[in-house]
Amino acid sequence: MALKFLVVDDSVTMRRIVANSLKTIGHDLYVEAGDGREALAKLVADDSINFVITDWNMPDVSGLELVKAIRSNDKFGTIPILMVTTRGLKEDIVEALQAKVNNYVVKPFTPQILKEKIEQIISSAA
Amino acid sequence: MDQKISMENIFQKLGDLKSFFVYGQKLIPILQKILDFMQDTVPLLENVNRSIHESTSKMPKAALQINSVTNATEVATTEILDIVDGMTVDVQGMHSKLDSLKKKLGEDDDIASLLTLVQKIEERMMNITISLQVQDITAQQLSSVNHLIQSIQEKLGGLLTELDDKENGGLAVDDHQFPRDAAFNADARYEKNTSSQELVDSLVADNLTKASQSEIDKLFAKQ
Repeated sequence: MALKFLVVDDSVTMRRIVANSLKTIGHDLYVEAGDGREALAKLVADDSINFVITDWNMPDVSGLELVKAIRSNDKFGTIPILMVTTRGLKEDIVEALQAKVNNYVVKPFTPQILKEKIEQIISSAA
Repeated sequence: MDQKISMENIFQKLGDLKSFFVYGQKLIPILQKILDFMQDTVPLLENVNRSIHESTSKMPKAALQINSVTNATEVATTEILDIVDGMTVDVQGMHSKLDSLKKKLGEDDDIASLLTLVQKIEERMMNITISLQVQDITAQQLSSVNHLIQSIQEKLGGLLTELDDKENGGLAVDDHQFPRDAAFNADARYEKNTSSQELVDSLVADNLTKASQSEIDKLFAKQ
């Protein structure tokens, strides 16, 4: 099944870079959201989204709040989530893992790292 | 006899009075120095107060200027990404044309070297895209500075309002408002070393192991 990504980041630049990286590693299907609230609305509206890549620091609804909201949702609670963020402290990583992100990437990242983490998530889900 | 005692007392008092005057003579220059110091210091303190007033009222404008730098770099980065995207399409076109030529002409050294060159260009363009992540990271650092400026302004503003006499009518703040506080990570760093990712990987691996163990425990609990 083809992956359709939801790329969530308040930075236009970062959404573009994540999207370009996805294209580089062979994933052309994606939609974008500027914060957690918009991301939740897109998840509700679009059943075909089956992978979330989210930033942490965003206004209104943060990435961590988004992860918690997704995990507590009956409809899309099991969707794979990859967090891509500047937060590289141990306590941040642990907090994200406790919130049930599937994997975690620290910025700046390369398309290779992104590919590796996506593949790890998909293979562990299979 | 009584008269003699009274005279001794008077001389004693006069002696004390003399000592007091001698002490006073020594004390007067010191008091004068204190007065001079206060006369010099009061204008200085007034100057400091005025400077704090001016600086505090300019802080929102400084924050707005920092914000406009972030916006400008975001626009410039988007323009660079547009150019890189256009170049990527062109280079990919060159790549496929060279592949077609290779199929038509067979193995050819010139085509092979051109293909290697095109691949290098593609890799370098991807590296440009990766390096542009610096814009998001510096934007977060600048947002952190803005937040700091806003906190200092609030503290100084509160302090000046308390210290200001009523005649001055409180703190005169510049008309500019602070930009909306953006979400940021104050510790954001642009570092290409992999130590943070290695820490993530070890913690994720540890987390997965724990999850597996808990699943095993659940299975045993069912039996």
